[in-house]
Amino acid sequence: MTPPALLPTRRDREALFVGVDAGSSATKCVVIDVAGTLLSQSVVASGFDYAVAAEQALDAALRGIVPSLGGAFWNAPADPLGATGGCRDFPGTTGAKSISAAVAAACRGDEDEAVSALRADIARCVATGYGRANVRFAQSAVTEITCHARGAREWYPQVRAIIDVGGQDTKVIRINARGKLVDYRMNAKCAAGTGTFLESIALKLGVPLRTLDDLALTSTGRTVVNSYCTVFAGTEIIERIKNGEPRQDIALGLFRSIATRVGEMVGARDGAVAATGGVVAHCRAMVKVLEEVLGASVLLPPLPQQAGAYGAALLAREAQWDDVSEDPGAGRRMPGRSACHECSSQG
Amino acid sequence: MAGGTKRIEIQSQQRLKSLMRDYFLDLDAAAKDPARRVAWCTSVGPCEILVALGFATYFPENHGALLGAKRVSHHYIPHAVGAGYCAESCSYTTADIGAALRKYSPLQEAYGIDGPPRPDVLCYNTNQCREVQDWFQFFGKHHESPVLGICPPRYLGSVSVAHIAFVRTQLQQLVADIESRFHVKLDPAKLQEVVALSSRASALWRRVLDTARSSPSPITFWDGLIHMAPVILMRGSRVAIEYYEELLREMQGRVESGIGAVPAERFRLYWEGMPVWPRVRELSEKCFDLKVSVVASTYCNSWAFEEYDGGDPLEWMARTSTEIFINRDEVFKQSFLLEMRERFAIDGFVFHNARTCPNNTNSRFGLAQRLRDEHELPVLVVDGDLSDGRFFSTAQTMTNLEAFVEQLAELRTPSRACVTGGGKP
Ligand code: SF4
Repeated sequence: MTPPALLPTRRDREALFVGVDAGSSATKCVVIDVAGTLLSQSVVASGFDYAVAAEQALDAALRGIVPSLGGAFWNAPADPLGATGGCRDFPGTTGAKSISAAVAAACRGDEDEAVSALRADIARCVATGYGRANVRFAQSAVTEITCHARGAREWYPQVRAIIDVGGQDTKVIRINARGKLVDYRMNAKCAAGTGTFLESIALKLGVPLRTLDDLALTSTGRTVVNSYCTVFAGTEIIERIKNGEPRQDIALGLFRSIATRVGEMVGARDGAVAATGGVVAHCRAMVKVLEEVLGASVLLPPLPQQAGAYGAALLAREAQWDDVSEDPGAGRRMPGRSACHECSSQG
Repeated sequence: MAGGTKRIEIQSQQRLKSLMRDYFLDLDAAAKDPARRVAWCTSVGPCEILVALGFATYFPENHGALLGAKRVSHHYIPHAVGAGYCAESCSYTTADIGAALRKYSPLQEAYGIDGPPRPDVLCYNTNQCREVQDWFQFFGKHHESPVLGICPPRYLGSVSVAHIAFVRTQLQQLVADIESRFHVKLDPAKLQEVVALSSRASALWRRVLDTARSSPSPITFWDGLIHMAPVILMRGSRVAIEYYEELLREMQGRVESGIGAVPAERFRLYWEGMPVWPRVRELSEKCFDLKVSVVASTYCNSWAFEEYDGGDPLEWMARTSTEIFINRDEVFKQSFLLEMRERFAIDGFVFHNARTCPNNTNSRFGLAQRLRDEHELPVLVVDGDLSDGRFFSTAQTMTNLEAFVEQLAELRTPSRACVTGGGKP
């Protein structure tokens, strides 16, 4: 089985860092290595039980790594099954034995065994999202605001505002030139302006969300669904259908309704904007209208829905490094970290 | 014992419980005694006049807060809505009206009394909002009692001599009205005495709040919400003074011993706006877990007046009630908050956007943004309500608070965020 295009072959002998974003609709998991390279990711439905969803997401993400382990075996410099080396750059992690065990299991074709060996290699996990407290295997929890900012900034160091359109809420997060969180806003508590808004209207219209997106992309109209409230928007749409407005215009109008709301939250813009979250990952129309409302192009990361989990994984890696740096061996540069592009500070 | 990680209860709280019981039992007795009279008053209003005239004073705002803290407002608000009050108008008012219509009061379970005492007169001051006027009008009709009040000039920048003279004239008129309705005569010496006692309690309360300038702070906003009761309900009484003397001693002792309300205090916040009464416990516990001390607030400071200097008591009442924060313009409010920031070494401001109290919400006209943009102060706005828990999302607010603390922590660590990884997928 060939690894997905986004995933490079995992280098052997490195600890793993995991980020889990237990969101209201989907639970996302991202696994990175010591250098911060994204090795694998998964998205599962959150369902009724965040703890179960987190386990499933981790299992799926680790399974995504297994196919690349065979390559690691052949590429390993020396002593691939032995106990030397491993995590050389990263004291405090379990190291070579279990990783080699994972490689060995992968070479034997024992996927389950490889997954449990990989699990033993997880140096640290950070959970985020509404269900963050339920992720039992995580060592710490960080809010999705900090995690989305961290993930988006890793992809786009120049970004100043991150728009996250999620299932339950929409967030606008601002960071300054030094990457610090300076402000964030969430929609007030209701489904208006969120993925749930789109889902419930799609349900009302009897079409899947994807169809709504496809329809919206064909529209050239200027329709805006004015109601923020999901219930009122439903009524407004019925009125528009009754008046014979084209379906595609109504569909795009729905996305515009969210984008207008987001535009209010963004306010004055001073720099690059990136969009993250499940809605932008699945609905290209959302990005289109966001650009229209903001009057600027919007950066779309490679994995918009997993930005929070990616940020959590990066924070897990940094936290581990901070712990290690308190030891006598402190002062080494974190593997894969580079100096800030915007200021003279070094990592 | 300094340090430690456990919450240490404030000892004076035991005394407070018995004071509250005495206060409500006395109110009940006054309502049942034909020889005594009861006045309903607004919290920053003309109550000293009523006390000096011998009335037992009751404060409906306190009852609104109790309904909120008991988390029952949403059961009673619909009954007020049915009576024609908008569900988005002051939830103290609507919960209180709804509860009266259903003949419910938290005072029944707490003190075994029938509920709020029947008023002989209701006296309001619209220095905080016009809602109190409508609220009192409802109860005036409900109990067939006269409703009197004063309407000072609102949203003032500076408070001039003319403003105070205008309010003083209204107070004089109020005195004359009460005297003629109840055939009583206000003794100027008695009013002076009541105002002196009232202002003494208020000054002591201010000193209690000021102990929060120490780090770790011995008291938080959440504690203040409990301990402020006597400065509102027992104004003009000696028991209020004795209580605050005791509380002040306890807080000073804590400061000397290094005992913090949040022992491992990492950040010091300011709470702007009304409390979220139905969620005070959760918010206080969350702050404790986050090692956050909410050391100052506009709300608790609203009853911290300057001390009476022995001059004209009506003028003192006119000035102190007109000068309050809620009655001032945005320029004053901004400078007040900046002063509080310096005074209490505040790391960040939390603005409560209370859905049904625009009067006590200051994030709606750009104040929060100005603090952030012009003074680079970390600011968080949380949505909620003072009494109606349906306007509050626990999960969202707790996430907001946690993220705010992460932001404050990030601002304290200069190098962490200045690096970008090399791990592009
Ligand atoms: S200030 Fe707000 S909470 Fe207080 S009575 Fe007026 S509207 Fe109600």
